[in-house]
Amino acid sequence: MTDAAQPVWIDPTDCHYPEAPAREAATNPYLSHQVTWNETRAFKPRMCPVGRLRYYYKWPGHGGALWWRTRYWPTRRRVLQIRGEYNPKTKRREKTIVDKRPIWWALAFLAMILAPAVVPAAGWNTVMSAAAVFGIYAAINLCWMLIIGTAGIFSLASYAVVGAAAYGTTYLAIQLGLPWWLLPLIGALIGLAFGLIIGLPAMRLDGFYYALLTLGVVELCRVYVVQSREFGSATGGIYGAPSYLPASLGQMPRLLFSYYAALALMVFALVVYRFIDGKRLGRVLRMAPEKREAFAQACGVDFVRARIMVFLISSTALGSIGGFYACHFGGASPNLFSFDTVLLSLAMLVIGGIGRSEGAVAGTAIVVFIDRVLIDLGPLRYILIGAIMLGVVLFLREGLFGIKRQFRTWRDKKKSERRATRAEKGGEMLPEEATETEDKDQIYFRRFDKMQRDFLKRLITDAVIEEHRTRPLGQHSEALERLLIYFRRQGQVDKYAIMVLEEFRAYRIVALSGHRGTAPRVVEDRNYASPDEAYHALFLRRVQDLLES
Amino acid sequence: MAEQKIFGYADKISVKPGDDIGFYVHADGTTTVEAQLVRLIHGDAHPAGPGYREQEVECDLNGNWTVRKQYTQVGAFLTVADPDGRLALDGSFTLATFVYPNSPGHGKRQCLMGRWDAFGNRGYGLWLNPDGLLEFGYGDGQEVDYLDGEVPLLKSNWYFVAATFDATTGVATLYQEGVANRYNSLLSKVANVDFRSHVRETLRFRPVNPPDVPFILAGAQDFHSLRGRFVTQCLNGKLDRPAVFDRAMTREELDQFRQTGAAPASGQVAFWDTSLGYTDKGIGDRVVDTGPYDLHAEGYNRPVRGQTGFNWNGWDDCYRLAPQQYGGIEFHDDAIIDCKWELTKRLKVPPLLSGAYAYRLWVGDGKGLREEYIVFFVRPHRPTAPILFLVPTGSYLAYANEHLSFDAEIMQPLAGQSPIVSQHDIELYETAEFGLSLYDHHGDGAGVCYSTYRRPILNMRPKARMSSMGVTWQFPADLSIIAWLEHMGHAYDVVTEEDLHREGEALLKPYRVVLSGTHPEYISEAILNATEDYIAGGGRFIYLGGNGYYWNVGYHRDDPWCMEVRKLNSGMRAWQARPGEYYLATTGQKSGLWKDLGRPPQKVLGVGFISEGFDSSRPFRRMPDGWHRRADWMFKGIEGEIIGDFGLAHGAAGGLEIDRYDLALGTPPHSLIVASSGGHSDNYQTVVEEILYPYPGLSGSHDYRVRADMVYFTAPNNGAVFSTGSIAFSQSLPYNNFDNNVSKLLDNIVSAFASEGRLPGWAWTAEEKQWR
Repeated sequence: MTDAAQPVWIDPTDCHYPEAPAREAATNPYLSHQVTWNETRAFKPRMCPVGRLRYYYKWPGHGGALWWRTRYWPTRRRVLQIRGEYNPKTKRREKTIVDKRPIWWALAFLAMILAPAVVPAAGWNTVMSAAAVFGIYAAINLCWMLIIGTAGIFSLASYAVVGAAAYGTTYLAIQLGLPWWLLPLIGALIGLAFGLIIGLPAMRLDGFYYALLTLGVVELCRVYVVQSREFGSATGGIYGAPSYLPASLGQMPRLLFSYYAALALMVFALVVYRFIDGKRLGRVLRMAPEKREAFAQACGVDFVRARIMVFLISSTALGSIGGFYACHFGGASPNLFSFDTVLLSLAMLVIGGIGRSEGAVAGTAIVVFIDRVLIDLGPLRYILIGAIMLGVVLFLREGLFGIKRQFRTWRDKKKSERRATRAEKGGEMLPEEATETEDKDQIYFRRFDKMQRDFLKRLITDAVIEEHRTRPLGQHSEALERLLIYFRRQGQVDKYAIMVLEEFRAYRIVALSGHRGTAPRVVEDRNYASPDEAYHALFLRRVQDLLES
Repeated sequence: MAEQKIFGYADKISVKPGDDIGFYVHADGTTTVEAQLVRLIHGDAHPAGPGYREQEVECDLNGNWTVRKQYTQVGAFLTVADPDGRLALDGSFTLATFVYPNSPGHGKRQCLMGRWDAFGNRGYGLWLNPDGLLEFGYGDGQEVDYLDGEVPLLKSNWYFVAATFDATTGVATLYQEGVANRYNSLLSKVANVDFRSHVRETLRFRPVNPPDVPFILAGAQDFHSLRGRFVTQCLNGKLDRPAVFDRAMTREELDQFRQTGAAPASGQVAFWDTSLGYTDKGIGDRVVDTGPYDLHAEGYNRPVRGQTGFNWNGWDDCYRLAPQQYGGIEFHDDAIIDCKWELTKRLKVPPLLSGAYAYRLWVGDGKGLREEYIVFFVRPHRPTAPILFLVPTGSYLAYANEHLSFDAEIMQPLAGQSPIVSQHDIELYETAEFGLSLYDHHGDGAGVCYSTYRRPILNMRPKARMSSMGVTWQFPADLSIIAWLEHMGHAYDVVTEEDLHREGEALLKPYRVVLSGTHPEYISEAILNATEDYIAGGGRFIYLGGNGYYWNVGYHRDDPWCMEVRKLNSGMRAWQARPGEYYLATTGQKSGLWKDLGRPPQKVLGVGFISEGFDSSRPFRRMPDGWHRRADWMFKGIEGEIIGDFGLAHGAAGGLEIDRYDLALGTPPHSLIVASSGGHSDNYQTVVEEILYPYPGLSGSHDYRVRADMVYFTAPNNGAVFSTGSIAFSQSLPYNNFDNNVSKLLDNIVSAFASEGRLPGWAWTAEEKQWR
């Protein structure tokens, strides 16, 4: 035999039967499995040091000490959602505040209460009246957020409800001489009635069409009050509602007082928001987001009812805010029904982020500040608001308060992009991947598997495949046996197997799930007439998978 | 319409004519099935053999049966009968227990103990919540209030946990402390893990304790409108010494409990001392309450006893030595001992010939999952023939519903092939209610130590093939022996190992020859004793298999359908018992290999396990001793030296699992090796119990020991043993319609063994004075 000749493998087990010639099969020249280990002296990608410095304080765990946790009386809610954990790098016991929003809210409330102290005297009137408007608008926007965000009903009629209540209560107050504190209550009734009227179509109309309908209602109201003599078509609004401010107060305290009153209104709206969005109704509706209604319904969620309920409760709250509005401004103006008010408020919601209370409040603060405080800018203000809104729509996914999540998603995307460029496909783990692997054994497994695969790829020849075809089971040449042992030792997930369709007649290739209870999946629709044919077809698939890896 | 499926089981595996046997059938997509009693003849549809064969038998019960969907309670737990509602604790109370979680977290809620109605949110309980945190909670039917721990419980470490509730203030306190010592847990103290957590919170309302909610340990009650009440939230892990008190215990008292394992007496409502009740002969399912009200707990789906407790210190490895350290009682949420289905039909067994029978159930066309065989064996009232086939039902149980092809990564390299799975295998894999075999692991990673036949066994039926090996296995393979007996016209009786375990040697005594199954691997001491006594007393035994008489198993005293094994540190084992958990809870005996207990199979059968491989089989070749006149009568009518170069199991008679002659392990010194297989592939590796150091060259093409030996020796009082040492042997019998040299060889032996008087060749025993 010359060097160029194809080496021949002789079946060692056949020596037991010297009478018959031993089986021979063409095979590969010998190749040491250590070849890939010897050839690989370094990682191909550059290895960078990893690890992140803990530059901030982390609370230790309580250990054996008693941890007495407190709740917001009388609810089951804990004051802070805190998770105890083991630091995976040291096993040190630590505590993490899972949800830091209560802290931010508390700080924000404190800042709002103390804010008047830092308002310069020169701008006092402008700033404080703007601040009061902020409180009222924030309250309206919170209720509106319930309708758009929680209930998912695209109603533009929220200001119409407020307006209707403001007009109605002012009118009644003038006619009947009502005290100021009755106005929010009557407003609530008007809101409920108004909500009932415009809420019912929401059961039939969806999305855009409903928005159009509500826009029509808003316009109708505006035209009505502009033309109605009772509602002050001549005076540009109806005025004369009683004020909640004691008449004796001077200008400065009046503004201060009304600011705190508006702030209280906002807190009222936040409470409403919390009790709807954070309780049963909100949870039911989160189960039924847009385009998944059918699924929710199949799970027994009556989302239509829940949506209408949210709509009615919000409308009632909006009506009540309308009553307060009337007391605050001493009446109502057609401005409430104007299209630009609706659009400006929509800008507030979008900037803050739909579906979050903090979004509604912060968005309102930004827009009101530009609109009411930066008056000196003139009409440029609206361009500024438009620019911010445009920027938010263009660059942010869920408004300002979605930035954190969006940033993380973006960082993850960058991470996988960078890893994709650095890591070899099917190669060893990079240090940054290793940090994410709890079982360090897996890191070595990846190295071993890569070496093994790189070596085995060199063993695949026509001779080896032909040897398998002629006898899939039993003793094999070294090259083929190495391949088979590797294939058979693979993990169970997506490991190939054969499914019998008809005993000794028809077989098919499937892939195991690796999860108890989950049936294998069919990988191709070809049938094989005998187990041997199926074994070989399965072998060819594995060879192909190996070469592709 | 749902896919039509039919499954069933019988409450007995062995009956005599006149006995009652109950059939329990579950059906999907149909309410009637066509039932037919059949006598099973051959179970292997391999084209090289005679094909599948059965005989329909007349029976009153044949015809249409009304069937229904049945529900199965999966998961082990303890129930407490509490008629006086002592555990309906309306005031302050404390729940405490030691716990060793097997798989905390993973999104599964596991109830440690409580009187909890998971459907109506009523009652109270102590849980490991889906994040693995200890959680105490209760409900009033509307709302649930709860308190959870600071850090999760870690897998495989012992903890002492408790929850106290003060009804006057509404203050609940969780107590969680690690009780790991140097031996009993996964992690050492060097791992720097602080297990402790003590959390307190004021809860909002008080629990409501309706009388219809039961107190359950390691589970909680649930409800389904079709199924009714069942138990859910089953625990994976061990409990030790759970206790309930009717007052809020102080931390000092709980510290005391944790350190001593003794529950304080004051305020005790129940204290289940799991370490009580051990005897030298094992322990049952009852957990004793030493509290004032005798609220004893009963195991459902057989929680595993005899497990190490929180205080196991590594010195005593058996509950017989230190029962107080064996308070561990282990639960698995996928354990199943008895399906307890509603009875479908009861049969008073007619006067049938002894043999293997089944009720064949067909839905529609009777193909695939629309066909079911409920297998049972009929033994005679009194012996009717000189030949007895001893059905290895213990080994059927061991392999019952094995999942190896799907779950075991090692199975493909072990078997040297890719599995060929059937529709039944897939159905089995998808259905937790059918349970697991002694080759599987529970979902939490622990090995399965109990198997029973009070559940449908999908691979104990004709036609079934072992998916991982591409051959028939156990019962369907053993049918080849029955088919051979039928074909050759030998009159025979059938008894099962269950009968032999109960009745002992007296059952075998009347028979001149006893035939084993192809793979009688799981043997209780009573069966081994009976076999040994039978042979020593002049009986003749033909061991028609490989890897037989291998594991020591125990049968449960009250439930003979339940078999137990502990797989220890040696042997070809699918799992390994934890340190200290080596003794059978059913018998008190150390489990593991009979070899390691001083009784290697060679001592009784002449051969013992040496190697296994599933990619190929090899023929036997006559050995020189096959020409000695003591044995050459076996080969009468056989031409040439090669025996069995054909067969239904990879084409030859020597293979799958093979046994070898070994004087060092007690093969009787006068034994002859009359033939041996050889040239096995390298898939045949030497078994681990024969390996001290593994080194290259322990496989078929390197090691001379890798072979099947046909061994023959005579025993006292004209007794004799013939062993084939190969599982594949019997699957060569049906080749060419039973006309082949394996069949001839066996026929020579069976005919000789079945004759009265001396054996052929008995006289050729003088000192050899050779001229050549």
